[in-house]
Amino acid sequence: MEGLIGKGEKRIDGYDKVTGKGLFASDYVNQFPNLAHIKAYRSPYAHAKIRSFDVSKAEALEGVICILTGYEPGLDWDQFPKTSVIAKDETLWAGQIIALVCADTLEIAEKAIELIEADFEKLPAVLSYNEAIKPNPVSVVDPDYETRPLGFTDRPGDRASNRVSPNVVGAFKLHAGDVDNAMAKAETIVEGEFWTGKKTASPLECANAICRYDSDGGITMWSNGAGVHGVIKQGICRILHMEESKVRIIQPYMGGSFGSRLNPYIEMLTALICLKTKKTVSFQYTREELFIGAPSNWPCMTKVKLGATKEGTIIANDYYLAEEIGACLNNTFFSGRLSSSGAIPVYRFPNLRMDTCAVATNTVPAAEYRGLGCPEAEFGIECLVNQLADELGMSPVEVRMKNIIDKGERDAHGELITSIGLKACLQSVADVIKVEEEPKQDMGVWKKGRGCAVGGKQNTPLGRSEAEVWYNSDGSLQLFISCDENGMGATTTMAQIVANEFQVPITEVRVTKGDTAITPYDNYSASSRTTYNTGNAVKFACEDAISKLKEEIARVYGLHPSKVELKGKKAFLSGSHLQEVDIPSLFNPTSMFTQGNWGLQKGSPVKGRGIFCPAPIHQWNDKGLSDRVWNWFQYSAAAVEVAVNEETGQVKVLKVASSADTGNPINPKLVESQIEGGVHMAIGFYLNEEHLFDENGKIANANFSDYRLPTILDMPMNEDVYPLINPDPLPDGPYGAKGMAESIVIPVGPAIAHGIYKAVGVRVNGYPMTAERVLALIKEKKAKEAAK
Amino acid sequence: MNMEKMKIIITVNDRQHTLFVSPDRTLLEILREELNLIGTKKGCDDSNCGVCTVLMDGMAVKSCTILIPQANGHSITTIEGLERENSLHPLQQSFIDYFAVQCGFCTPAMILTAKAILDENPNASEEDIREGLHGNICRCTGYKKIVEAIEAVRDGEYKESCGGV
Repeated sequence: MEGLIGKGEKRIDGYDKVTGKGLFASDYVNQFPNLAHIKAYRSPYAHAKIRSFDVSKAEALEGVICILTGYEPGLDWDQFPKTSVIAKDETLWAGQIIALVCADTLEIAEKAIELIEADFEKLPAVLSYNEAIKPNPVSVVDPDYETRPLGFTDRPGDRASNRVSPNVVGAFKLHAGDVDNAMAKAETIVEGEFWTGKKTASPLECANAICRYDSDGGITMWSNGAGVHGVIKQGICRILHMEESKVRIIQPYMGGSFGSRLNPYIEMLTALICLKTKKTVSFQYTREELFIGAPSNWPCMTKVKLGATKEGTIIANDYYLAEEIGACLNNTFFSGRLSSSGAIPVYRFPNLRMDTCAVATNTVPAAEYRGLGCPEAEFGIECLVNQLADELGMSPVEVRMKNIIDKGERDAHGELITSIGLKACLQSVADVIKVEEEPKQDMGVWKKGRGCAVGGKQNTPLGRSEAEVWYNSDGSLQLFISCDENGMGATTTMAQIVANEFQVPITEVRVTKGDTAITPYDNYSASSRTTYNTGNAVKFACEDAISKLKEEIARVYGLHPSKVELKGKKAFLSGSHLQEVDIPSLFNPTSMFTQGNWGLQKGSPVKGRGIFCPAPIHQWNDKGLSDRVWNWFQYSAAAVEVAVNEETGQVKVLKVASSADTGNPINPKLVESQIEGGVHMAIGFYLNEEHLFDENGKIANANFSDYRLPTILDMPMNEDVYPLINPDPLPDGPYGAKGMAESIVIPVGPAIAHGIYKAVGVRVNGYPMTAERVLALIKEKKAKEAAK
Repeated sequence: MNMEKMKIIITVNDRQHTLFVSPDRTLLEILREELNLIGTKKGCDDSNCGVCTVLMDGMAVKSCTILIPQANGHSITTIEGLERENSLHPLQQSFIDYFAVQCGFCTPAMILTAKAILDENPNASEEDIREGLHGNICRCTGYKKIVEAIEAVRDGEYKESCGGV
């Protein structure tokens, strides 16, 4: 019986959140009467030499406890998260920390910041891919980066040729088949160059951490960072040389992350100052700091060329991608491989030449943001598939159906695709939006158009998840896990798995989560992995507890454990004269005087433990080929109807359908929530959100007045928002489930771009597709038509 | 900084408070720091995100941009004032039932704004609800389920009416 799987169980954290009683990390400021506060002095310039820096006046201010600079002895800044590296002689982006002040109150800390005297020599900066990639750029962000052969030639990322920029700091290639030969045979070729904007995830709770100095020299931290064990605790132990026993990390409710809090930029610095001052310290980012002092996404520039038969079968893809990674020094993380990875498991590319690289700029260092570069990497491909359909006179649905990989096939890497529900996803969104029909033009200057697209994203088989389940002596259940709860409902899903395994209502399961002193190891919630990784661990833990409980019960009745079946608080026995027993009654009562307390005992739960760790990858060869580069794949399709104002260029999404291949959804209501939220987030960054820079290279719109997040008015009316689920079970997922939250955002943008084309006849080759940009294209088109 | 403190009398969740505080402090700061009503959140500094929304004399206001003297003599309702002795406010219950909550950081403000919308117009249409909510950012849900939760209360799906808190 799989009673609760596939049911829309209500969130277990609902009460805490609707009453305001649940404590978020930032609410812990109220929990400490004597809290010292940290403020940062940040670079005003994207690139500058620090000629002089004087903190003596600030230090002399009453109430200032300490000032930390990059010259602090005994620290290896290379080990710190890139965004938290304190500048010494030179600043590499506007917003980089130059000093941290710790003071008795926030006001004193702010005053001290004003007393710091600094003299800068402004240096030239590269703020975009186009400036950074020049052979002789005005700024080389990481001059010490070791030159490595990139493995491909005749692309801008190649250091071997004279055209190469020293700002290229990583590369990857995947070469399958023979692209040149296939391209020569292609009957239709579409190609283009695509760009994407730099954006900030902007969870509503700003980054924050509070670190308490404990009497034994240890520390306890409350923060809204992700990965209590795998990211924060491991990071503090490694970087600050702490014993594992002396670091305790607690994650209260988090006000969103979307990947951005996987980077412990605030936690390391807060722990450092806590240890230095031996005080309980608080570091609360402001909204501006979340733009200038926290990682952004990484934009991608892609050059894509697709060759196809006249029937629409894609036979070749010549693909170049450059990730713009900001001021990441000693880069080992970025190569373009992550971004481009999502494009590989979507279509059959019998011939694929994928050359990718990473390019450093004088902007805030990049890090994870929902989709890990896949929305940026796949935008160009999806736009071109739509263009291919247009040029061949085919429907964008039909051309995709011809090329989407089927289950059981291998992708261009050589990986077996074991779960793909993408064709069903595409059909379902195309049907509800009627993508293949023309909308009625009844809105005057607002022209309507429909478009669709698809997207894929890999899951990285990293990390390890553990879970512990307690069957208490009264039959109630407790679950201990350390996955993140960014808001997606992971804890509810995990409780649902426990309730399902023990066949009890979800209300009987209490979850304790995210406290390294109490809850077992987990790396983090990333790569849409929680349902899969932690879910499997939780299921194992339940099975372990059930097995132990059966053994105990069987012992009481002189049975083999296989003769015992459990359902909540009841055990059903076969072979004994008793058919049904009340399990709590089997737990022996205890008092101060009872002796020989073996077996089931009141107050002592039966405990189960589960560990899950996905199988490792198989290292790819010199062509980037391997039968296991990633783990499994999530897919999504989107279709939209947009209206474009011919006179202003403004784009409105009138209708949107988004479908997820989730594997078997454990909680479809939570999946729907992720779909709707993903669509909304996507509408924001495809149509509007991007960093703009002032003359000093500082983000000019580092606030919500000028960097506009989408509001409710940017969403279509409720009846025009269609969240759809088309599951293809994942063989190794718990109950066949897999993750889904990242892939949702991928197809929304290219679907909008095609809707714009259908509406006003212009192809937008990048995003955000702001009114200004769309209007410029409309004007350009009109001018060309007039010239004819 | 260090302005002369002034006497402020405000009613918060039906309870009168007399405070001596610096007049340059915001209502948000007073609620969170002096009264420990941490259900009211802070997300930005310029009244754009809306997570600090509370009701002042029944009207939804952004407490981060109300200086405490502006609240002097007024009646404030925060999320802590909605829950009844034995039950949640209908909007609180409907937000749970309709999955209108994800990370929860915007939720108290959303619920209070929803209350203001329905108190002003018990028959608020979807358009009215959208108009009323457009100053409250939710980064997680996409709003559809929030609107559904509000409409359920509007349509009398929950026993109590929304008024009278």
